[in-house]
Amino acid sequence: MAVAGATGAPSTKPSVRARKERGRATAGRPGSPVRRNLPVYLAISPFYVLFAVFGMFPVVFSLYLSFQDWDGIGDMRFVGWQQYDWLLHDSVFWKSILNTFEIWFLSTVPMLFLALVIAFLLNSQIRYSMAYRVAYFIPNVTSMVAMTIVFGSVFAQAGLGNSLLKAVGLGDFGWMTSAWGIKVSLAVMIIWRWTGYNALIFLAGLQAIPSELYEAARVDGASSWQTLFRVILPQLRPVVLFTVITSSINGLQIFTESQVLFQASNGYSTGGPGQEGMTIVLYLWQKAFGDHQFGYGAAIGWALFVIVAIFAAINWRLVARFGEDRPVTSRRWRINRAR
Amino acid sequence: MEPTLSRRRLLAASLGGTGAALLGLTGCGTSSGSVSAGTGHLSLWYWTGALSTKLLAVARKGVPGVPGLKVKAAPMDDIYGKLLTGLAARAYVPDITALNSDVASFFPHEDQFLDLNSLGAGALKGQYLDWKWQGGIAPSGRMIGFPIDGGPSALYYRKDIFHKAGIPSDPDELAQAASSWEDYFAVGKKLRSAVPGSFLVGNIASVFRMSLLQSPKQFVDQDNHFIGDQEHVKRCWDLAVESLRQKLSAKINDGTPDSNAAYAQGRIASACNAVWWMGGIKQIASKTSGAWRVTKMPGGAANYGGSFLAIPKYCRDPEDAFAFVKWLLGPANQLAAYQEMALFPTTPAVYDKPAMRKPDKFFGGQRPVDVFGPAAEQAPVVYFSPYEGTASTPVYQELTNVELLGKNPDKAWRDAMAAAEKTLSQKGVS
Repeated sequence: MAVAGATGAPSTKPSVRARKERGRATAGRPGSPVRRNLPVYLAISPFYVLFAVFGMFPVVFSLYLSFQDWDGIGDMRFVGWQQYDWLLHDSVFWKSILNTFEIWFLSTVPMLFLALVIAFLLNSQIRYSMAYRVAYFIPNVTSMVAMTIVFGSVFAQAGLGNSLLKAVGLGDFGWMTSAWGIKVSLAVMIIWRWTGYNALIFLAGLQAIPSELYEAARVDGASSWQTLFRVILPQLRPVVLFTVITSSINGLQIFTESQVLFQASNGYSTGGPGQEGMTIVLYLWQKAFGDHQFGYGAAIGWALFVIVAIFAAINWRLVARFGEDRPVTSRRWRINRAR
Repeated sequence: MEPTLSRRRLLAASLGGTGAALLGLTGCGTSSGSVSAGTGHLSLWYWTGALSTKLLAVARKGVPGVPGLKVKAAPMDDIYGKLLTGLAARAYVPDITALNSDVASFFPHEDQFLDLNSLGAGALKGQYLDWKWQGGIAPSGRMIGFPIDGGPSALYYRKDIFHKAGIPSDPDELAQAASSWEDYFAVGKKLRSAVPGSFLVGNIASVFRMSLLQSPKQFVDQDNHFIGDQEHVKRCWDLAVESLRQKLSAKINDGTPDSNAAYAQGRIASACNAVWWMGGIKQIASKTSGAWRVTKMPGGAANYGGSFLAIPKYCRDPEDAFAFVKWLLGPANQLAAYQEMALFPTTPAVYDKPAMRKPDKFFGGQRPVDVFGPAAEQAPVVYFSPYEGTASTPVYQELTNVELLGKNPDKAWRDAMAAAEKTLSQKGVS
């Protein structure tokens, strides 16, 4: 939060420094490791200083803020757990969580599948493969707002999407006017943006698989399906896990797409008809920067943190289980090679 | 430290220097709070299109009539975000800032801005439209917003389509035939049956918005009580729902590609909108030039939009800042801004100047000021509370639900009221 960073900067930094100084004073007789390595500490300090000011402080401040009532300019008022109490009884908030997960699921599953297919294609020997790789990555670095405006034309009632549907003999679809249309539209934009990125990661994973494995499988008489499911996918598991984790993190923070796509008549963005495109972060933004309820916004932020933490725990369990059977596969592989 | 470490020392010193500079950067300017501290000019924040570019270029070199005063204007996105940050930090606040028609959202923090009356604004009151002047005054009586432009509204319509439908298509005749919203809907019914596939309004939210702007009362009153559930709002809601029931709405949100196409193709044959929409409709429906007309809005005159200038309390030189505001927004320069940027003057004395009375080809040679001038003078004085945006958001949301998802209007109204009351109560309004 920019507000937090700007106000807090001058007051926190000196105190951090003072504490460092005190620590040095007790441990710092001439020639002690700290003293001797001072230039090194100084050399790495810019990151820590910047992180403390622009990373750590806003996090701590937003926790403090979530227990206050604050409109951005006036005085803060301590309200205890009231913001969280409101949040638990806020139907829009619960809806935004449901929406976020629906959009996340609708986008992540097809996206990872598509990315895997593209990675396989890129991994085979084709001409201009570098050009393809760049082309697939470009959506990821294109301005979101500009792309959302383009997609606005695609999903318009008389837009490209419906023209295509008509061309194949299907009727109009309410891309931006029906509950599922809205979610599909948002999912399509996310897929468009992240497929290339994930494909490149899969590609790196594919290229790391030793070719001996394919050869051994072929010698053992495995079909291509067996090679895919028994050799390639197990080898790709850590990469798949990585992409699942990153897309969960990104998926829970969907914001720009619905904000730009569904601006309400009075300039606020409430996520379109039926608030079907209202995501957690969009709600946070609307409350904090639209209604100037910064305390409530901070509380939503921390609720999002809890959800992400639960997700991370599930991911961690998956990774841990994976860590257990990894030696087994590699041992098997070594036995195969020995044979 | 051993002299052999000199290179490291150099490195450390340079890093230390960078850190100090960083600290210095965040600290500087706090002594006065103004972003222009230590410079020879005053600073102004505005968004592109809110003020005359030519006049700001003049002010950059020197404000005429105020020796030695230069004002450097910076166009920005997200002024409110930056302004709130600056006010909270008590640093980097501009000397003068533009505020939008929601100037009232700053009334709870009116002490952050200077009272323009104390700088001599009161003497100029007579030159400006009364409702616009009142719009910049907080309930306490302090004046924080100085009038820039106005947004008098009118009924825009396609003369050719109306003529084809056998509806009175002359501006004066139509004003007679569609003087109330009910009459306007009757016109729409005729239009729908005579020219199938053409609609009277783009969406029902526009009916709600424009009819509510005709009411002096909005969602919250001067004593911070929620009055959005009362008759003056419910009537506008009912009008919006009625336009849907009579199938007069094209059901297309404003500003979307669909809406632009619908105006260009004549599927939406009329719209109630502000004077600044002239630029928009000329752009999206350029091929229909000459076919459009404007006339009095059904239900009476109203204002939609228009911005203000304010002087934050951190201003380095309030006297000079106000002298600049007085120069930039005086009648002569309002006229210049109208010619350059189509910003509609809030000084009615200029409405009969030749520069404003030029016929407009897009409107078939009609003089738009003949409609917008009287609308500006007749618009009601409206009390906007600081909470209009918060209160109206659920209402617009539910109108969309009714229009696009077929939600039951009665249930939608109850949901909208419940949501508005809940959010407002969180902000201390009941």
